Amino acid sequence: MKKLIEISLGIVTSVGGFLEVGSMATAAQAGATFGFQLIWAILLGTICIIFLVEMAGRFAAVSHHTIIDAIRERFGFNAFLWPLLATLLVNFLVMSAEIGGVAIAAEFATGIGFQWWALPVAFLTWLLLWKGTFGFIEKGVAILGLVTLCFVVAAVMLKPDWEAVAAGAIPSLPGHDAANYWFMAVSILGASISPYLFTFYSSGAIEDKWDKTYLGANRAIAGLGMTFGGTISVGVLIVAALVLGAHGINQVEDYHQLPLMLIPVFGFWGFVLFVASLAIACFGAALEIGLQQAYLVAQGFGWTWGEDLKPRQDPAFCGVYTLSLLLAAIPITLGLDPLKLTIFSMALTAASLPLTVVPFLFLLNDERYVGEHRNGVISNAAVIFIIALGFVLAVVSIPLQIFGGS
Amino acid sequence: MDLLRDLLDKQVVDRNQVKIGKVDGVVAELRPGRPPRVLAIELGSITLARRLGARPGRWMAWLAKTLGGKRHAEPHHIGWNKVRDVGVDIDVDIDVRRTAIFDWQDWLRDHVIGRIPGA
Repeated sequence: MKKLIEISLGIVTSVGGFLEVGSMATAAQAGATFGFQLIWAILLGTICIIFLVEMAGRFAAVSHHTIIDAIRERFGFNAFLWPLLATLLVNFLVMSAEIGGVAIAAEFATGIGFQWWALPVAFLTWLLLWKGTFGFIEKGVAILGLVTLCFVVAAVMLKPDWEAVAAGAIPSLPGHDAANYWFMAVSILGASISPYLFTFYSSGAIEDKWDKTYLGANRAIAGLGMTFGGTISVGVLIVAALVLGAHGINQVEDYHQLPLMLIPVFGFWGFVLFVASLAIACFGAALEIGLQQAYLVAQGFGWTWGEDLKPRQDPAFCGVYTLSLLLAAIPITLGLDPLKLTIFSMALTAASLPLTVVPFLFLLNDERYVGEHRNGVISNAAVIFIIALGFVLAVVSIPLQIFGGS
Repeated sequence: MDLLRDLLDKQVVDRNQVKIGKVDGVVAELRPGRPPRVLAIELGSITLARRLGARPGRWMAWLAKTLGGKRHAEPHHIGWNKVRDVGVDIDVDIDVRRTAIFDWQDWLRDHVIGRIPGA
C-alpha cells in the first residue's frame, strides 16, 4: 500500500516535471500552425524520455550514484567539464524561460508588465528552496500541477476528429513552411527530452533514499508519469489546433494570444485555468531547475548537497541556486521576450542532448555500477536511437533556428 | 586496484560522513623496477586546473594563493594511510573541520549564506 501511494505520487510528480513552459509553448505553436500534424513529435519525445528517466532511476537505485556523479567518476574531470558547462548554460536559459512563463501569467492576472515580475518570481522560487524540504517541493509541485489536466478535459470537450488526431501520430511531410515545421519538431523534441528531467530524477532518487526494492516503482513512475505528461502536451496541441486555428491565429508570435485557448470551452474560467496552469507548471519547473543547477555543481565537485539540509550545512549548494535564480531573472527583467527565449532554449536543449545521453550507454552497461540490472537489448537500442536522434538534432537545430525560427 | 578507474574522481567522505570533495588527483611515487606506490590523494581546484593543462594550473595556483593565502598555495593532500575504505565513496579518517579544505565554504557561510534570515 505504501509503495502504491509512493508510485502514484511519483507519477504525479513526473507530470509536474514534464509539463513546463517549453512543452506548453511548443505544443501550442505546433497546433496553431500545423494542426494535428506534429503529434508524432510529442509521442516520440515522450517515448525517449520514458527510457532515459527509467534508466536514470534504475542507475541511482542500484549504484547509489546520481548520473552527474557517475559521469565525473567514470569519464574523468576533463570529459565531465563539457556536459557540465553545456547543461549549466542550457539550464540557465530554460530557467530564465520558466521565470518568464510565471511572469507572463502574473501579467495576465494583474495587467502589470511581465518584466516587473521576474525578480519577485525568482525571489519566491528561492524562498521555497531556502526554507522547503525536498519532499515538500516535490509534493507541492505535484499536487498543484494537476490543474494542467484542464487541457486534456478541454481537448476532449472540443470533440476533435479522433481519426485526424491518430493520423497526426504518424510522421508526415509538411504541406507548407517546411523549415518552420522541422524547427517546431526539433523544439518539441527538445522540450520533451530535457536533460534536467532525468538528471533531476536521479538526484531525487538519492534524496528519497531509493534502493533495489524501488526498481518496480521506478519503472511504473517513469512509464506512467511521462505518458501522463505527454498526454497533457498532446491536449495542449489539440486545443491550440482547434481553437487558435478557428480564430485565424496560425502563428503564435506572442504569449498574449494563448489565454484565448481555453475560453471557448470554459468561458471566463478558461482564462483563469490557463493562467493558473501556466504559472504553476512554470513555477514548478523553475524550482526543479534551480535545484538541478545546485545538484550539478555540488555533485560534480563532491560538495555536501541535499535539499533537506539547512543552508548553513551546505552553503555552497545553496549559493549555487541563489546565484542561478538571480542571474536567470535578469534577461526577463531586461524585457527579453519570454516566448522567443523559450523556443530558442528548447532548440538549444535538443542540440546539447548528445553530451548528456552518450554517457548513458556506458554507465547503464557497466557492471561495476549496475551489476545484473544493466541494460537489456531494448534499452540499449533505445539509447543508441536517442543518441543518433540527439546528433541529428544537434546538427540541424542551429540552421533550422536561422531559417525556420521566425 | 586500477588507480584511474577505482580512485580518481570518486567521492571523498570524512570521518563524520561529510562529503568533502572528489579525488581530484593521486600522488604516487614511481619506483624503478617495482610498481608505483600511492602516497596521497589530492583535492582542490589547483589539481583540477592542472589536469586541464600547465597554464590553467599556474593561474589557479596564483588565484588560490591570492584569495586564500599561503594555506591555499598548494593542493590539499590526504595521506594514503588515512584512507579507510574504497567503495561507492572513499572513506578517509580525517575531520574536514580541522583542514583547510572547507575554508572557502566556511567563508561563504559566515559572510553570505549565514547572514540571510532562515539559514
